[in-house]
Amino acid sequence: MTESAPHSDEVMPGGRTLSRRAMLGAGLGIVGQALLGADTGRRPAEGAAAPADEASLYAEAKKEGKVVWWTAHYQLDAAEAVRDAFVAKYPGIEVQFIRQTAQVIYQRLTQNLKAGVRELDVFASTDEAHYTALKKQGVLAAYRPLGLGNLPQAFQNVDPDGAYHVGALGLVIINYHTKLTIPPQKWTDLLDPRWKDQITVGHPGFSGYVGNWVVAMWDKFGWDYFTKLAKNNPKIGRSINDTVTDIVSGERLVGAGSDGTSLDSKSRGNPVDIQFPADDAILIVSPVAVLKDAPHPNAARLLESFYYTKEYSLAMSKTSNYTLRADVPAPSGVPIDRVKWYRNKVERLEKGVPEAIAKWRETFGV
Amino acid sequence: MPGRTLIRMLTFASFVTPSFLGATAWIFLAAPHSGWLNRAWVALTGAPRGFLNIYTLAGAVCVIALYSYPYAFAFVSSALELVPSEMERSAELLGANWLRTTWRITLPLVRPAIIAGALMSFLEAIAEFGTPAFLLIPARQQVITTQLYLFFQYPSRPNLAAAYALPLLAVTVSLFLLQQRLLRRGRFTTVTGKGGVRVPFRLGPWRWPVFAICMAPPIFSLILPYTALLATSLSHAWGRGPVPGNLTFAWYHWALVENQGARRAIAHSVSYAAAAATIATALAVCSAYAVSRRLLPGARILGYLAMAPFVVPGIVLAIGFFAAYARPPLVLYGTAWMLIVAFATRFLPIAYAGSESALRSLDLELENAARTLGSGRLRTFGKITIPLLRRSILANWLMVFIPSLRELSSAVFLFTPATAVITNVIFDLSDEGNFEPLSALGIIMMALTFGLVAVAYRLFGGAVFGQRQRA
Repeated sequence: MTESAPHSDEVMPGGRTLSRRAMLGAGLGIVGQALLGADTGRRPAEGAAAPADEASLYAEAKKEGKVVWWTAHYQLDAAEAVRDAFVAKYPGIEVQFIRQTAQVIYQRLTQNLKAGVRELDVFASTDEAHYTALKKQGVLAAYRPLGLGNLPQAFQNVDPDGAYHVGALGLVIINYHTKLTIPPQKWTDLLDPRWKDQITVGHPGFSGYVGNWVVAMWDKFGWDYFTKLAKNNPKIGRSINDTVTDIVSGERLVGAGSDGTSLDSKSRGNPVDIQFPADDAILIVSPVAVLKDAPHPNAARLLESFYYTKEYSLAMSKTSNYTLRADVPAPSGVPIDRVKWYRNKVERLEKGVPEAIAKWRETFGV
Repeated sequence: MPGRTLIRMLTFASFVTPSFLGATAWIFLAAPHSGWLNRAWVALTGAPRGFLNIYTLAGAVCVIALYSYPYAFAFVSSALELVPSEMERSAELLGANWLRTTWRITLPLVRPAIIAGALMSFLEAIAEFGTPAFLLIPARQQVITTQLYLFFQYPSRPNLAAAYALPLLAVTVSLFLLQQRLLRRGRFTTVTGKGGVRVPFRLGPWRWPVFAICMAPPIFSLILPYTALLATSLSHAWGRGPVPGNLTFAWYHWALVENQGARRAIAHSVSYAAAAATIATALAVCSAYAVSRRLLPGARILGYLAMAPFVVPGIVLAIGFFAAYARPPLVLYGTAWMLIVAFATRFLPIAYAGSESALRSLDLELENAARTLGSGRLRTFGKITIPLLRRSILANWLMVFIPSLRELSSAVFLFTPATAVITNVIFDLSDEGNFEPLSALGIIMMALTFGLVAVAYRLFGGAVFGQRQRA
């Protein structure tokens, strides 16, 4: 617990609550603002190839006819809602997508890159460290999507070079079966022996959300958190969304889950709800990027720009995920700037996630 | 015993059912808190919780056993068919009752087949990937194949995976050699097969208990799991159980119409499996012909080569394929050929064994007659041999097609999302616990398989089922 002190919250001008880490990670602050201005001036070097207005981008994209999109951002039905909204807005472009856990799509992308297979246009993982690694390899296209300005300013400039942008916001929170009258209030509550055989979690080796969460718990409470958690015999799935399946089916009572999937399931009448932990929800800023060698470069850029349209945020809201625009209210009822959250720095994730996976295997055996 | 044909058919059905589908169904049935069997138990006895827990090593072992027993069944039943009734009858004449006859005469005669069948089941079980991935990750138990899979995940270490796969290969190869030895020894104990008529055994009052025992595996490997899969595929949320308002056909609509990924996967599966079956059968017939007629020097080596993939677990084969074809000079990765070639290689031994035994049973005189009349080797092959082999060729084709359609362990390494097959989509869906669409896809896959088997059975009768015994 003591370790959480360095990342204590600060109140930003405008009443936004941000951790210092988030602030650094987002490259914000007054200096950041200035950089932002400088950046936008520099960026078009590569973006110039793509048409700068929606109509001509759409026209070019239509010629390509389709776009290939791999996403780990949200549950399957949210990805389907995004696809439907995109196709409705831009008829004539087919969206081929898969929804998979972050590490799995990243692994597939790395394999493809090694083998020189060009297949993917838009990559949407939940692990920011994937993007810094891909950026170093020079496989991402620098592009400033249309409508990026619609994002809350804190998230407009996650990568100073514009190689990737925020594609989704989500939280790791405590989710629970509604037959519990008093759910666990904070992360450390899960260590209580009364939850023995009742907890469900995902696997950091598969899920970007879980990897992020594990690093956060590790930094906040020390690895001891997991050796204690292991004594409670949690059921380990793969995706973070597994936790919702386990809770809804009554297999387990509480989990470390994502807000979107849990609330989406709740909205369909399932017995699940969420609890914002008193010791911070873990904010996951999931990036999206266009591949430099995208087989459908214009359609890829159109899809990335689509993230900042109202239609996209409506699709998010419909599937109970956080919206990217302030003009579409958050389905949880709690706007992101009111949530007490904690966010891992990307530099920490780069090293931390692989380490966390290795330590996880030692502690849990898988 | 009543229902012998039924038992055979059911055993064949569990043979074609992929064990990962069975494992999924058993999650619905025996998950510790939410499994239907456990819930029924709680409801009936008022116990605080059910006694079944599928997320254990024992659970996974049971599931794998349910889907590997057809191998043992095939070996033993084909051996039993060769045991002539005379020997058993003479034992009876000498005053032994049927139990004693079975114990002293029949079982010793088929002992090599029992051991060979056990080894074969073992080979299948140790190479199993899907079931451990579904059941043992939650159980926090690691086995070789899931560890191999993790080596391929981020941060990926394919070289380490290749090294790690070798001991597994060593185990399977040595077991296979052992099995071959046992079979060879077996040959001299087994009576020549020229024995007279086989008279069905009269079990008398024992009929029904024996029937019950024979029905036990199909109940647990087919009837319960398929009921669970079907029920899940028809519900909005499986955890809610079969209550009104939970019934929907939406997932079938999703798989067949709405979700283009699932639709494409179905098309991929069918076309890749068909291509693999065609390639494997063609290769098998040609090489088996070359071997049996000794057309080439060292033809026997060709035969061994064709049989070699048999001992390579799918996951190891996939790692090898990835190492070989994911980088220049020959890049198949990312294309359909990667999967087609892998499936064809993996199931070539089935086709080869089938073709070889069919060729062996073919009387050489027919070919010789054609040759004497001046027809060339090639012409004879095309005009005489192939038409005579037609049934066996079609049966072999099917015996490669079916396992290719349901193959997971190699597909999971070799596909890219553009070439995903049904099993990949099923595996991906299981990642998130999307069990309802998963069940729908599984049912569609099995409907395709059983439909094809039914057509084949109609067309060629029991030959297809007979073929199974060499699989």
